[in-house]
Amino acid sequence: MNVVFEIDHVSKVYKKGKVKANRDIHFDVLKGEVLGLLGPNGAGKSTLIQQMVAHLAPSEGEIRYEGVNVLKQPKRVAQNVAYYAQEPHTLTSLKVWEALCFTGMLRGIEKKEALRQADELLERFEMTDLRTKQLKHISGGQKRMVGIGTALIGRAPVLIFDEPTNELDPKKRRLVWDLIQERNQEGATVILVTHNVLEAEQVVDRVAVINHGRLFAIDHVSKLKQKVDQRLKFELVSEMGKSDELEHKLATWGEFVKTGENRLRLLIEKQEASRLLDFIVGNPQLPIEEYAVVPPSLEDVYFYIEKEKEHEHVGAASARG
Amino acid sequence: MSMSELPLHGVNQEQALLTRGARRYMVELGILFRIQFSIIRDSWVWVILMASMFPFMTLMFMRFFMTNPTPDMIIRSITGNMLFGVIAMGMNGMAQEISWQKHQGHFTFYAALPISKFNFVLANLIRGLISNIPSVIILAIIGQLVYGVTFHYSWGLIPVLLLSIFSIVGIGVCLGFSSPNHQLTNMLSQVLMMVVTFLTPIMMDIHQLPKVLQWFSYIFPSTYAAEALQQILLTGWTTVVTRDALILSGFSVVCYLVINKSVSWRVNK
Repeated sequence: MNVVFEIDHVSKVYKKGKVKANRDIHFDVLKGEVLGLLGPNGAGKSTLIQQMVAHLAPSEGEIRYEGVNVLKQPKRVAQNVAYYAQEPHTLTSLKVWEALCFTGMLRGIEKKEALRQADELLERFEMTDLRTKQLKHISGGQKRMVGIGTALIGRAPVLIFDEPTNELDPKKRRLVWDLIQERNQEGATVILVTHNVLEAEQVVDRVAVINHGRLFAIDHVSKLKQKVDQRLKFELVSEMGKSDELEHKLATWGEFVKTGENRLRLLIEKQEASRLLDFIVGNPQLPIEEYAVVPPSLEDVYFYIEKEKEHEHVGAASARG
Repeated sequence: MSMSELPLHGVNQEQALLTRGARRYMVELGILFRIQFSIIRDSWVWVILMASMFPFMTLMFMRFFMTNPTPDMIIRSITGNMLFGVIAMGMNGMAQEISWQKHQGHFTFYAALPISKFNFVLANLIRGLISNIPSVIILAIIGQLVYGVTFHYSWGLIPVLLLSIFSIVGIGVCLGFSSPNHQLTNMLSQVLMMVVTFLTPIMMDIHQLPKVLQWFSYIFPSTYAAEALQQILLTGWTTVVTRDALILSGFSVVCYLVINKSVSWRVNK
């Protein structure tokens, strides 16, 4: 598989080294994949993206797009990499069709083609009736959709989205993930920065977990999941006010985690699963309203890696001390 | 063909890409200008009113204040107030507007597109130029009516007006692009507006100013713009106008080059 971006031991420091946004990040983005960048706020994800699109120069290391340092070819990167960072504040005085069409034309396509793509996007977004409205007169979610449209128009071979589904309703969120998947199937490489781990799981091929400016892990979702606690999760909803009783009655089966007022998570060994199901079915007096068996998710991976690295960090600090 | 059937651009370069070169350049400039102009598209009446209001009031004040003004004083008062409008909106207004765009992160949008910085800066300058022309014309008409004078109109007035506005707007655009923070730019541009309007020879003869201010005046294009406008409206194109037009052209070029150098929007070191 071809490499699109090579992130080669990149670090970024601000304020004369006092703030370290990125520390020695090293990985490749492969052609045609959907790569998710996960991490909490302030982890250094957006800084890394800005370095990839040549808006920010690394303090150390370099980033190469198709083998050439991005800082030496910022215009070529802009030509091939469509970057959606935020709501299109710049375009708020334009009409919806103008915002899309003008962006397409600035990306290098003819007016006729830009208009056609703009109309097709508006149709997909179910926003055709807003075509002639100014962006400042439409809702925040609609503005966000136009912003996503400005990244999609012109059909760049690489798409980068920074938190694309923030503030969107479930229907629009689904639509955005569908569009991202469609573009990926047509050959586009997609890089996604997101907090929405559960939704991202449906589209990403590989995940890079970043925190404290460091790359904690990068791998295929399935491989990362194997690293996580392999015990099965039983999500249980007890009858009102009876969660303590339920916990007491199932205490010998595994480890409990309280996840809500009447909600419990029971972690059990895989081989015990069928016996537990039999036990629940055979004991209708148990105060259970609902139950479900849940496999490890990307969210579990994210929390697991974060916890593991925190332990390493504390361990290293104690050793130094 | 549906959108999903279209090849990705960059993968197949035969997609409807614009031809490179001059045409692409002009289309890009046109689009960038339309984006800039959309900011004032809805409020153009207010832009003209605001650009005309301050100078109109100063013009009226001077009319009531001056007793038996000479033709020279009248012309100075009218041209001075025409330029005051350009300084208020073209320099002060543009500095604040561009600084606001910069600190709101608007440049990120442009930096993510394969466009020329030259065109982006030029689009901003043209927007400043176009939005200031109406108020200059309005002030010229009102000034003539208030003082009962008739100007000497010639074709030379057009380049003088354009160069005057362009060079003054250039300072505003320059201030906006190099703004370290929005509040500071607001304060600086307002102080500069008052200093340039009232402490340089815009509305008075340069010899009425203290020596220090006379020297200070030479660094502002408004000084040459005022002189050129007075001359051309009073007597037509003279050698003084030629000299001032050349200086204003120089100011415009220098402003443009400084802006072009100071906008590091794509690669922020």
